[in-house]
Amino acid sequence: MLKINNLSAKIDNKSILQDFKLEINPGEVHAIMGPNGSGKSTLSNILSGKKGYDVTGEVLFENNDLFSLETEERAHKGIFLAFQYPLEIPGVNTNVFLKTSLNAIKKARGEKELDAIQFLKLVKEKAKELKFDEEKLSRQLNVGFSGGEKKKNEILQMSILNPKLSILDETDSGLDIDALKTVADGVNALRKKNNSFLIITHYQRLLEYIKPDFVHVLMNGKIIKSGGPELALELEKKGYENIN
Amino acid sequence: MEEQLKIDFEKKLKDFSYSDQEKKFRETNFKEFLKKGFPNRKLENWKFSDLNQIIKSNIGELTFYNDYKKENQIDKIELISELEHNKIIIVDGKIEKIDFKFEDKDKIEVLVEQGEETIKENINSLINLNNAFSNKFCKIIIKKNYSLKKPLVIYHLTNKNTQSKNTNSRIDFKLEENACLILIDIFKDNSEKNFLNIYYNFELDKSSILKNYKIDKSINNNIKYSYNNVKQEANSISETFILSSGSKFFKNEINCDLLGQHSSAFVNGIFDLDDENHHEIKSNINHLVENTKSYQLVKSVLEKKSKAVYQGKIFVSSEAQKTDGYQLSNAILLSENSEFNAKPELEIYADDVKCSHGSSSGSLDENSIFYLMSRGLNYKEAKKLLINGFLLDVIEKITDEDIKNLIKNLLGVKE
Ligand SMILES: Nc1ncnc2c1ncn2[C@@H]1O[C@H](COP(=O)(O)OP(=O)(O)OP(=O)(O)O)[C@@H](O)[C@H]1O
Ligand SMILES: [Mg+2]
Repeated sequence: MLKINNLSAKIDNKSILQDFKLEINPGEVHAIMGPNGSGKSTLSNILSGKKGYDVTGEVLFENNDLFSLETEERAHKGIFLAFQYPLEIPGVNTNVFLKTSLNAIKKARGEKELDAIQFLKLVKEKAKELKFDEEKLSRQLNVGFSGGEKKKNEILQMSILNPKLSILDETDSGLDIDALKTVADGVNALRKKNNSFLIITHYQRLLEYIKPDFVHVLMNGKIIKSGGPELALELEKKGYENIN
Repeated sequence: MEEQLKIDFEKKLKDFSYSDQEKKFRETNFKEFLKKGFPNRKLENWKFSDLNQIIKSNIGELTFYNDYKKENQIDKIELISELEHNKIIIVDGKIEKIDFKFEDKDKIEVLVEQGEETIKENINSLINLNNAFSNKFCKIIIKKNYSLKKPLVIYHLTNKNTQSKNTNSRIDFKLEENACLILIDIFKDNSEKNFLNIYYNFELDKSSILKNYKIDKSINNNIKYSYNNVKQEANSISETFILSSGSKFFKNEINCDLLGQHSSAFVNGIFDLDDENHHEIKSNINHLVENTKSYQLVKSVLEKKSKAVYQGKIFVSSEAQKTDGYQLSNAILLSENSEFNAKPELEIYADDVKCSHGSSSGSLDENSIFYLMSRGLNYKEAKKLLINGFLLDVIEKITDEDIKNLIKNLLGVKE
């Protein structure tokens, strides 16, 4: 599904990712752990099409050259990024935004767009599953949301948009234990349908609820070690300094 | 220009048999204008918008005579269809039609005025020009306790073949105690390269309410100046909202004298500018007694080489304790060549007041754009959504729901 070959990225001549390699197959869950500043969010941003990086290397998503696609085209093809710091968009109603987003994607795929009633039904259902306070959906997007509510809103968007590849950039940071479980339920529900995940986290706790197929350790822009779920436990005990 | 002015003024005097009083009034104003000419940047009020220069470079030589004896063809005007309304139609500065068909006839009085013998307030040269050249002065009185059932829409039209002309129109309004008027100005121009000069006087008696919405949305190459002079007695409210967009140049000047306690003035606006359009809002809110309030919010979205100017003045006299005055302006610059100038002025002579001002400008937030695009919106859609969001809070300041929706539609703000 996703193939990253020798990806290097720089900002203002500062090297952030170097010869990064990763392959994710349908239905797989990969976790990336790494110290602050190691390049995790940079990787997520590049996969989603954020501008401002000098990149070399190759990224294929279902055999499409990702770099030839605009940000929104990647979303249309099924890539979703749950932001580490979801943005507040004043004046934009959350429901309006969700509907615009869903229908933009449906339209690009040649699917039938949802009307207001169908959309509300879907949102209600998903919000309930994720125990997301529906009242918040009539507010401005993320404005006045708590840190955890913003993260949950990302997962709500994910489950509404139903992406093939979801990148979760520290979605667990700032979530309480119950929220963590509901988020994990959301992920696991999508996973059943053969969707893939790239989960960035600092804590192995999330990985107890979402069992990853692979765990990778990212340091200084490179994957220095890969393994199974046990690697997360080892990291938790030893810290990054003592992993080789 | 001086030659032309004199010729045109002579013609005008010949056309009408003015009473001595009116003749004198017009002549005095004419002389004042001759002396001062069009405002230029040497005047503090005009330093961002040198009207003299703007007229020269966009119009060239103006003529000032309009044949007000002839009937104007009111060719197909697009009336607003969204809401029922009373209307006044002004063509090339002349009031062609006054129609209060939705109202009780005895509650509205329309007078033709003579003009004062002496000029009480010498506001600026454009008002002099207006007083000298405008057609008949008209005064509309809304009687005590009467709220108009429907809004009054004033259509400002120009004939297609009108060119390089200055047109002047003036209407005075009096809202008696507890009266209420919703007034919408719509600018529709079929012409090019004219200078429209519009002057309103409002007397707001105790507890009366005026809502004036000025909508300049259709694209045109005319130059416009509009002056609202509002005098407010106790407990009266004036709400002004300006959607400044379509004209080549438009300066809206709002003067509010808060003369009675607990009177309040709201001046809000949007600059939605493209190309090389240059627009300005200049407000003077004069807090002259205790316990008055003013609020101003102006938002700008500026494309290409457009330029917006907001000069907001809050004056608080030494008697005006407990004044509450607030003003804020925010601008989004969508191009490196667009320009926003904000000049807040606070002149405060009382000590127990609450006044604040603020201003910001910046480009569209690229991170927000990325966020929206990562959800499948293309750049254009993401930009539109952000801009609509940016404008929403000032649109929400419009207290009349119908007008709010009308303006949302005009701006393409969806919900
Ligand atoms: N726009 C930018 N300009 C300059 N440097 C940047 C920029 N974005 C990221 N960096 C730098 O790149 C490095 C990697 O940043 P990144 O945000 O990818 O780290 P991260 O692994 O997500 O860290 P964290 O765990 O704290 O979220 C950091 O040193 C950061 O300072
Ligand atoms: Mg990060």
